[in-house]
Amino acid sequence: MTSSAVEASEARLRRRTRRRGSPSRVIESGGLLLLLIALLLFFGLMPASRDTFFSAANISNLLGNQSVTGIIAIAMVIPLVSGYFDLSVAAVAGIANVTVAAALSGLGTPIPVAILLGMAVALLCGVINAVLVATLKLNGFVVTLGTYTLIGGVILFFTGGQTIYQGIPLELGAWGIAKIFGIPAPFFLLIGVALIAWYILMQTPFGRRLESIGTNEKGARLVGVRVDRSIFISFLLSAAFAGVAGVLLTSRSGGADPNAAPAYLFPALTAVFLGATAIRPGKYNVWGTIIGVFLIAVAINGLALSGADTWITPVFNGLALVLAVAVSTLLGRRQKKNDPNRPSPPTAPSSAKSGDDESSQALVGV
Amino acid sequence: MAAADPARGSVLPAPGSAAGGVNFVSLSKRFGPVQALEDVTFDVARGEIHALCGGNGSGKSTLIKAVSGLQPADKGGALIVDGHEYRAEEITPVLSAAAGIRAVQQDLGLFHDMTVAENIALGSTFPTRLGRIRKGDLHRQADALLERFSIDAAPTDLLGDLGRVAQTQVAIARVLQDHLDEPRGLLILDEPTASLPIEEVEMLLTALKSYAAAGQSILYVSHRLDEILTWTDRTSILRDGRYQGTYASADLDEGALVELITGRAVASLASGRRAVPESSDVVARLKDVDAGPLRGIDLEVRAGEILGIAGLQGSGRTELLQVMFGVQRVERGAVELDGEPVVLRGPLAAMNAGVAMVPEDRVHESSFADMTIDENMSISVLSEYWRGGFFRRGRIKADSWDLADRFGVKVADVSDPLTSLSGGNQQKVILSRWIRREPRLLLLDEPTQGVDVGARSDIYAIVREVARAGTAVVVVASDLEELALVADRVVVLRQGRITAEVEADDIHAYRLTDLIYGKDIA
Repeated sequence: MTSSAVEASEARLRRRTRRRGSPSRVIESGGLLLLLIALLLFFGLMPASRDTFFSAANISNLLGNQSVTGIIAIAMVIPLVSGYFDLSVAAVAGIANVTVAAALSGLGTPIPVAILLGMAVALLCGVINAVLVATLKLNGFVVTLGTYTLIGGVILFFTGGQTIYQGIPLELGAWGIAKIFGIPAPFFLLIGVALIAWYILMQTPFGRRLESIGTNEKGARLVGVRVDRSIFISFLLSAAFAGVAGVLLTSRSGGADPNAAPAYLFPALTAVFLGATAIRPGKYNVWGTIIGVFLIAVAINGLALSGADTWITPVFNGLALVLAVAVSTLLGRRQKKNDPNRPSPPTAPSSAKSGDDESSQALVGV
Repeated sequence: MAAADPARGSVLPAPGSAAGGVNFVSLSKRFGPVQALEDVTFDVARGEIHALCGGNGSGKSTLIKAVSGLQPADKGGALIVDGHEYRAEEITPVLSAAAGIRAVQQDLGLFHDMTVAENIALGSTFPTRLGRIRKGDLHRQADALLERFSIDAAPTDLLGDLGRVAQTQVAIARVLQDHLDEPRGLLILDEPTASLPIEEVEMLLTALKSYAAAGQSILYVSHRLDEILTWTDRTSILRDGRYQGTYASADLDEGALVELITGRAVASLASGRRAVPESSDVVARLKDVDAGPLRGIDLEVRAGEILGIAGLQGSGRTELLQVMFGVQRVERGAVELDGEPVVLRGPLAAMNAGVAMVPEDRVHESSFADMTIDENMSISVLSEYWRGGFFRRGRIKADSWDLADRFGVKVADVSDPLTSLSGGNQQKVILSRWIRREPRLLLLDEPTQGVDVGARSDIYAIVREVARAGTAVVVVASDLEELALVADRVVVLRQGRITAEVEADDIHAYRLTDLIYGKDIA
């Protein structure tokens, strides 16, 4: 009895005296946020941009515009936590956008019905992805790249390549530019969506099971996780969030441009990878992704205000994507160094569920 | 120490290095506190098939990794190949290959979706012109090699379509192709016959004999004692990283070899095992079950009993556990849990029926390396911590600390990643994940694989405690001494069938060794 009491108190002592993370770990998880703050200060103080950068119009423009990117990026994070890419999210947002706009403009349906229609079409796309990846077990990266392209084509067919701006009720567009306490309403939607995604991923058994799948799919199955079902649901959730982004885009732009939404793929992808370098380094996560979205947006916005040409956007996006992948992969590899037996980290696309002939290749020196 | 009867085995003098061949000189390797290899010195003569024997953890693979440069040995040792001396700590894979050391791993490292010719070329170079592969030359070269090694295959055959013997021969031909005319160096074969049926073993060994006759030195690692005695020239034995001597294989018999490998004369071992009373409830029963490699399995385990499964890899031992965990589909026969017939449609169904399984391969099948220790401990009971829409993280942590204390897991913080722990401690985390569910039936597949000696006895103490509390336990272990210590009863599996059953007082490692190799079915 006494000895176990001593052990228990020792254990409590250890619990209390545990280190609260080393300085390097703090810098690692907060680094991206610091970088964002540094960028804000830089463009806020730089002569070329300081007059306009912190103006109310510019800030609310930034917050409003990036809400769509942010929600699309979050849609991508959810299946990615279980190790599966969903590249179709931007196109799914696009088809929801077009559906809502077309229903309002052509059919004159009430706004709530139009929104429901848009969400239904998005979910239908989610079901298709889920069946292909979770049920038929096809490579998620390639399949969703396929559905991304396919849905983009369907959008073009459906719209005839024309934009839809006529007959959109003003209330819908008004919400997209409305402000609450001086902050654009869409930003609150983004925060709401992020909270829901964070809650699902971090606070529910489902979310934790998704992460166990992403870490070790076979192991997850052997602790009773219904792997296929979980992946299926993650693709449905992803499509639902993409649908929300599509609806928001309709409101922000007061209609639909068939080319608008699919262009969000790369900014969102970059943000997701940047996000995996922050908050929970080496893992895809919601808050890191949001920081990533704004980091890119602030940089591009600041550069544009400083008079940089339009080519700066793709150059910066591309650089950021490559750097993000490099940093998150290297972070993962450094963790791997501590444990040579560990399966490869879930950071680079190559490690997303595919064949693993790497070891035999290494043996013959290919 | 010297367990062998000196009349049967004698240490042979090393032939001079002038004759070629390979000398291992004083090779040592230390991993932290573990001395994996200690001052190992022996030689392989030119044109000799030299067997390397030892139990699990005896240092065989450490030795192979040391000489092939994957994990160089510690300073002080040396490797002499065909008269050239290399310092042990300086050996790299490139240096080892240049010296003529060629290893063929158990999994062969071949590409099943590629042709035989391509597989061969991948071990050397593709004949090209202006960067384009010249198919004609590729196939001519492969053809010549196949003929030379008398391999029953065409260059254009897909490797996956070949038989296992031909595949092994292709793997051997691939590593030997660059110095065909003057055999040199050392060919290391790691359990090449492990997955071969008996009748094909002879085909492969006949082929090996002919390579040796042509002057190739071969280091042959195998667990099959009869092969070693029949086909090899000399045998060296490792035990706990230490060299136990080299003997002419013709002078040994199975009894002597088993003694040398286990280091124990025939004597009973102290253990906590006991016969479980007939009155104890039968927790699990298999009736005439066919599943995967298993045929006609009849088996029962009682509450409080530790049932050991002895068998070689590929004997169906893993599948036997998987049948009871809903992973391996049952083709025929019936499975009963607590007297009720059940159909287990997956791990979740098995868990709900009170079954728990610790799989064999910790890295790929049970550890969540990216997740924390407390997450790894609680993954099996997640929903219990979810109340009112949130996790009770405080409870998860507190319970994880308690589990760490109870199972003797040495942790700095339960929020650290699982990979901050040693292998033994990781395995205790996995065990705690399952035992906390208080299973009726606990299945353990090689629970002490890759675990140091201290953690090993901890783990078995835990298992015994769990059994005493009324859980039925089934343990698969390759280490037969370990099995003899922990099991109350052992069944022997061979080629998918139960070939023997050994009761409490008759369980001895040497006896189990005989039984799993198919000798003396009593």
